[in-house]
Amino acid sequence: MKTKKFNWSQITRSKITWAIVAEILILLVCFIIRPDFFSISIQPSTGVLYGSLIDIVNRSAEITIIAMGMTLVIALGGTDLSVGALVAVSGAMALKLMRWDVLEYNTPGDYTVYPFFLVLLLPLVTCTLMGLFNGLLIAKGGMQPFIATLILMVSGRGIAQILTNGKQFTTMYSPFRMIGQGNLGPIPMPIVIMVVICILMGIFVRKTAFGTFVESVGVNRSASRLSGISSDKVILIVYALTGLLAGIAGLIYSSRIMSNDSNNAGINYEMDAILAVVIGGTAMTGGKFSLVGTFVGSLIIRTIVTFVYYFGIVSEATMAFKALIIAVVIVLQSEPVREYFAKRSEARAARKSA
Amino acid sequence: MENSNRKRQSLFTRLMNPKYVMVYATIAIFLIIYIFGAIQYGDKGFTSLRTLVISMFTENAYYGISAVGMTMVLITGGIDLSVGAVSSLTGMIIAYGTARLGIHPLVCLLFAFVIGIGLGAIMGAGIQFLNVPPFIMTLTGMFLTRGCCSLISRESIEIQSDLIDALANFKIYIMWWNSDGEWAKIKPVCYINFNLILFIIMIIVGTILLQKTRFGRNVYAVGGNEQSAKLMGLPVARTKILVYAFNGFCSVLAGFAYTIYVKSGWNLALSGGELEVITCAVIGGTLMTGGVGYMVGTLFGVLLKSAIPALITFNGNLLSWWGKIATGALLLLFIFIQRIVVLYSARKKQK
Repeated sequence: MKTKKFNWSQITRSKITWAIVAEILILLVCFIIRPDFFSISIQPSTGVLYGSLIDIVNRSAEITIIAMGMTLVIALGGTDLSVGALVAVSGAMALKLMRWDVLEYNTPGDYTVYPFFLVLLLPLVTCTLMGLFNGLLIAKGGMQPFIATLILMVSGRGIAQILTNGKQFTTMYSPFRMIGQGNLGPIPMPIVIMVVICILMGIFVRKTAFGTFVESVGVNRSASRLSGISSDKVILIVYALTGLLAGIAGLIYSSRIMSNDSNNAGINYEMDAILAVVIGGTAMTGGKFSLVGTFVGSLIIRTIVTFVYYFGIVSEATMAFKALIIAVVIVLQSEPVREYFAKRSEARAARKSA
Repeated sequence: MENSNRKRQSLFTRLMNPKYVMVYATIAIFLIIYIFGAIQYGDKGFTSLRTLVISMFTENAYYGISAVGMTMVLITGGIDLSVGAVSSLTGMIIAYGTARLGIHPLVCLLFAFVIGIGLGAIMGAGIQFLNVPPFIMTLTGMFLTRGCCSLISRESIEIQSDLIDALANFKIYIMWWNSDGEWAKIKPVCYINFNLILFIIMIIVGTILLQKTRFGRNVYAVGGNEQSAKLMGLPVARTKILVYAFNGFCSVLAGFAYTIYVKSGWNLALSGGELEVITCAVIGGTLMTGGVGYMVGTLFGVLLKSAIPALITFNGNLLSWWGKIATGALLLLFIFIQRIVVLYSARKKQK
């Protein structure tokens, strides 16, 4: 019988617990070094919330959005390496649509050549189709996800560059600025978009049967097909969805810099997103997944980056810190270590009862 | 007479083994692209020995050296994302050691070897004993190594060392009889440099390791089916750790070659290099699922991958970005061939 009894061993064995503990520890270190780390104030001129914590959440928006899709991809037992390239494609396409006439009027201004809804819609549709292409290769072509998505990862940036003829466009179109730099009430827009997407994803996977389908296909694809789940369709939907989310992240990114930067947009995003998912406790082998865990994982990654910025360490060295913290989380989450803890707590429980 | 005839036949049948199909496909596609280039741009010098040796072999030698180790890792069914960063770290160590600390470059290189092989062994151990997926483990290794590069220096450091200069200027010119009947450099001037020799040596070493030693057979066995390999009593853990350590060795060597090539150390050098290296191996017919792969294939994979930029350079009108797209298309093509080969051999087995 299940009771609400506080079950310590279940909590220590849960992977999310360790992720949350890690996040709290990093934040505590920040707080000890800089007591004003937790202060949040409202900027008087714009009325937007302002502070380190807000900044962490705000800047984590792109990775979190991508990682939501990546969670499902990894739950299927796959990986999607192409998301970083899709971020570049989405940004390049949006800027191209806004500045189609760049040769005639080469000063950026508060205008768009194509209507705004097309500027938003076309990049997203393109990215969804590219995600669908990944899904097709994996579901129908029977390819390994790593290799299938490597194709778009390698050629995606090339496509982005060719879309804009290798040039970097800038724009000052204000509705586009809203996406990345605007705000809804006191909350920065990227956070709003991120929260909405997280909630929608949560509803989609937990309030419909889709999440269960994903877990089922991730554990055993042929068994789930035999039990009546259309495995191929699930795979297609998941990869297309990840493409769409990468497209949204690309729009946010390019709106932050009001430009397209096909060389640097979304670079290493696939790695960060996969790390966020794994830190959040979803196993690379597929099966069970946790969107909440992914959210925490993405926050951890961004907190490390912010931590490094704040304390004046060279920004490129962030990676070393990331690696150290990830190494700790990985070791704590690895099977032998968790088994060891589980055995110890069982032994303790046995001693208590005896 | 009869004996030699039988031997030749057995060699022929051995070469016709379906497991080599991928390697043949690589060679065939390389030849197709090469012949296409020869027909299209032959008059501009595409067929010259210089284009073949310098822009296809020499300029990609460091990727090739790294691909030797990567092929082995892929055969075990693993992956190593840290190679680009380790190569970059090697450059940083040599540059910082010689330029700032005044240490002899060979000592720096030795130190880099210790770090590279050590990191490889640690990652292998983590993958084997902690059951961490190779992707995540080596990604952590990559982040750590890149971070360390940046901690050493954020700016690129120029290397001024007699040894590095000597190695960079070491060139064996390819000579030929000219019309006057004396030895002369062929035109356009073409030479073999240190990196290319290193690349060829590594390919040979890799081939011998994989095909002629017990270690190589263990590598194939682990990649084919790790469970069976374990049940057969093969040293799975040792093999895996050694493979990652060997890959570390190759990455450091590749980093050394790259350092000789650019004569400086830069913390962001070769970023994304790991994927280039993996692409070379996959185009060369190595299966990502493990168990299948040959060094000769990897050699041609490197050639094939470098033939595309060469074609685009010779065309002159295309943006270099088309190279990336073409590489992606090539990957797609190869995976399709792999699928067909696998399906075909599976159907043959059923019969």
